[in-house]
Parts: sequence; C-alpha cells; structure tokens
Amino acid sequence: MSELMPSAAEPQNEPPTRAEIDRSCRGPLLVFIASAVFWLVIGSLWAILAAVKMHTPGLLTSWEPLTFGRVRPVHLNMTIYGWASMSGIATLLWLQARLARTRLPLPNLLIAGGVVWNLALVAGLVEISLGHGTSVEWIEIPLFWALVFASVFAVVMASSLTMFARRKVAHVYVSQWYLFGAVLWFPFLYLMANTLIHTGLTRGVTAAATNWWFAHNVLGLWLTPIGLATIYYLIPKVIGAPIHSYHLSLLGFWSLALFYNWAGTHHLIGGPLPAWLVTVGIVGSLMMFVPVITVGINHHMTMVGHFRRLKDSPTLRFIVFSGMSYTAVSLQGSLTSLRSVNEVNHFTHYTIAHAHLGVYSFFSMAMFGALYYLLPRLTGREWASARLIKLHFWASAGGLALYWGPLTIGGWLQGLRMNNPDVPFLEIMTDTLPWLWGRTAAGTLMTLGHVVFAWLVVTMLRGSGGARPASFAAATSPIGEVKQ
Amino acid sequence: MTLVYGIVWIVMAAFAVSAVAALVWAIQHGQMERFASAARSIFDEEEPVGRPTDAFPTSGLERRS
Repeated sequence: MSELMPSAAEPQNEPPTRAEIDRSCRGPLLVFIASAVFWLVIGSLWAILAAVKMHTPGLLTSWEPLTFGRVRPVHLNMTIYGWASMSGIATLLWLQARLARTRLPLPNLLIAGGVVWNLALVAGLVEISLGHGTSVEWIEIPLFWALVFASVFAVVMASSLTMFARRKVAHVYVSQWYLFGAVLWFPFLYLMANTLIHTGLTRGVTAAATNWWFAHNVLGLWLTPIGLATIYYLIPKVIGAPIHSYHLSLLGFWSLALFYNWAGTHHLIGGPLPAWLVTVGIVGSLMMFVPVITVGINHHMTMVGHFRRLKDSPTLRFIVFSGMSYTAVSLQGSLTSLRSVNEVNHFTHYTIAHAHLGVYSFFSMAMFGALYYLLPRLTGREWASARLIKLHFWASAGGLALYWGPLTIGGWLQGLRMNNPDVPFLEIMTDTLPWLWGRTAAGTLMTLGHVVFAWLVVTMLRGSGGARPASFAAATSPIGEVKQ
Repeated sequence: MTLVYGIVWIVMAAFAVSAVAALVWAIQHGQMERFASAARSIFDEEEPVGRPTDAFPTSGLERRS
C-alpha cells in the first residue's frame, strides 16, 4: 500500500487518481510524444541515407546538405535531441506525476517548451545542413540554439521540482531517484559542455576530453536514468509484482551516480591525453559492473515466474528487451574500455554497433514500451492493432539484431586487420562492404518498424482503435486468455 | 574569462554537493529503511499487487475486419 503523507499545500485534498493524473499530462505530453515520433521517422530516413553512403558514396553528393559529413550529424541530432530526448522528457514527466501522485504542473509552459524545443532543433539541423555545425560530436548544434534547449530544460526542471515538492507519497521510489539524476544533473552538464567548448575555454586535447566527458554522459546521466526509471516502474506495474530486491535497486542507483560520469575519457584511449586521465575513465567504466550487475539481477529476478506475460503485454516485451539490452551494452562497454580491447575496436564499425545497442536496443525500446503503456491512458483510446504492435516489435528487435551482429563482427575483423601493417588499407575497406550492406538492410527493417509505430500513434490520435475499456483493470484480469 | 572559469567550477562543485546532499537527505528521512514496503509504494487499492495492468488490444481494426 502506498504511504500517503499530508501535503502542506493541500492538507484537505485526497491525492488524485491515476486517471486524473494521466489526464493532467495529456496536452503537454502529446506535444512531446507526437514530435518525438515525427523525429524518429525523419531521423530514420537520414540514418538510411548515411548508411547507404557508406557503401555507395556517390549517392546524392551534388547538393552539400546531403553529403555524408552533414547527413550523419543531422541523423544523430534528430534521434538524440528529437526522438530520444522528447520521448524521454514525456516519459519522465509522466512517471514523476504518477510517483508523486500529483497533477502535472505548468502544462502551458511545457507545451510552449515543446514547441520551442522543436523550433530550436529545426534551426540547429538547418545550421548543420548548411555547413554551420560545430563539428564537435553530440554538440554539433551552435551555441545559441543550445541555450534555447537549456531554457526548455529549465521549464522541465521547474515542473519536476514542483511535483516533488507537492508529492503525496512519503517514500521516494527508486525510479524517482533516477529521474532526479536525469533532470537535475544533465541540463547543467549540457550547459557546461557547451560553454567550455564553444566559448574557447577549452582547446585541442582539453576540448576533446570535455567533448567525450559530455557525450558519454548523454547516455550516462540522461538516457540511462530515464530508461532505467521506466523499467523499474513498468515491469512491476505491468506484471503486478513488486521488484525483487529494493536494496539492490538503491545500490544500483547510487553506484551509477558515483561511477558513470567518470567513464567518458575511455573514448580517447590512444589519444594524446595524459595517461592518468584515460585510466580514470577506464576505472570508472569497469566500476560500472556494480550498478549494471545489480540492475540486471534485479530485473531478471523480478521477471522470474512472469515471463509468460511477454506474450500478452506489448509494453512488457519492449521493456524486458530493453532491460536485457542494458545489461548487454553496459558489460560490453566496460570491456571495450580496456586498452587491450580498445586497440582493436577503436575507429571501427564495432563502436557504431555498440552505440546502437545502447541508444536503440536499450533506450528506444524502453521508450516504445513506455509509450505503448501511457498513450492509451493519456487519450482514453485503445491501440488500433495488436498485429501491428507485434510487427513493430519484431521489426525493431530483428533489425537491431541484424544491425549489431554483423557490424560487431565486421568491425572487429576490420580492427584486427588495421593493426596489421601488412594488409593494405584499401583492401580492409573493400572487405567491410558486405557488413555495411547488412547495416543498410537492418536500418531499413528498423525504419519499417518506426513507420508502423508512427501509423499506430496517428490512428490512436484519430481514435481508430476505439475507446479503451472503461474498467481496464478488470479487462486485463484474464490476461493469459486474451485472444488475438 | 576568469568569471566564466569561476562559474564552471562553482557549477561543477554544486553538481557534486547536490549528489552528497541528496544521499544525506535520503538517509536522514528514512528513505533507506523498510525496503519491503518501499518496493510496494507504487501499488495501492486502485492498482494492487497481483493485478497486471497491460495487455494487447482486443478491440480495434482486427475485430472490425
């Protein structure tokens, strides 16, 4: 049972029901979610274009905005700041409202924030496409637009802190801790990295160190906490069972808070940095074994006895896939940070596969799962087609497997041969072509999944799936017998 | 430039202090106790333990066709 506590602001009021909380989120969240899905689809098209150019470099090169050097950062910024961040902010706000048992505050400001975020992103993407990008990975968007993003972060932060101040539940659930990590730490990191790099305070090696300290923390202190908060809330909610070990969940959060933000310099192994600075990054990466193993064990043990529900729940499929990917990508990442491993995989396609295992297989799948859960609750409508949800899942999961497997193998072989001075570079490059074609096929499959998902979201907003059962809890009780 | 350096150091220090302060607050306010009830804090009479809350849609286009 929840431990409700009296609120100083509203001593007489009962906490709102979940339905009331969900309704209060509707306007702002739909702006963020619809935008996120739009950027997912457009970002996928740019991804395919970038992938094709890797094996067919002559394609669409006569117009500068469609050359590889611009298409690739446009893809990254669309997916990170468009899809991932906007779906992440929507999920974060919804989770916080539910965890605090309070209505979403500042709805109009948040709607305006969503619109401004989109405008800043469009402006940033146009700048990159016209050749005005900063060429600093993950912060290619020029400083002015970064400051506009920061102003929206301020609104999200204000809404988040207001919910915490008004909370009606005494206990701060583990998801809430992760969300604090995201909403209170990341905006400062973003602002600091932009300031340090774009104002000339750091140059050369120090700029690179700042760059990768920041870029890794986009995963570590932004996407990862939101993804894990989502998993920690939705697995228990969907299966109707509390998490296996609350001790482990808190150990996982605090050890992540302690270790993750040290890890970034492992991206610069072999670079002209002081050895100790790189070693700090490697130690931080290996210490990540602690939170990763605790989270992995906890999620798995919570699911034990409930795996058959994967058949019945769309959310659970995506969320469990995401949780397993978190363990895999994190362990892979820690091992990759070892100098002996890194000297092979660095500057190869292996790293690209690893990045997609993190941002796509872990984070994006968590967001898909969250959106399948929360959109019917926001709109009061049902998804239009169970078959299409399954198609989306298998296209995304299959596409990811097809992406990660071949690129990991191909990248590793590429690295081994690049370390052998007897093998001509051109021969190595030619031999990577089949793996790169595989990537294009995989990306196309994932994009198919995204188009299906976008279609499902559009039909939901149009009401094609019909109304959600009035008593959904009752409707879900015979969950094992649902016929498709 | 000195001012910007100062701001950077102050923000980074605040970053570290906020983490320590949050941990101290959590311990002092009983957030590290009664783990069994803490794990159940997301459940209540409306959505109790033992009741699943998600399933594939059974209505929609497929039923109509």
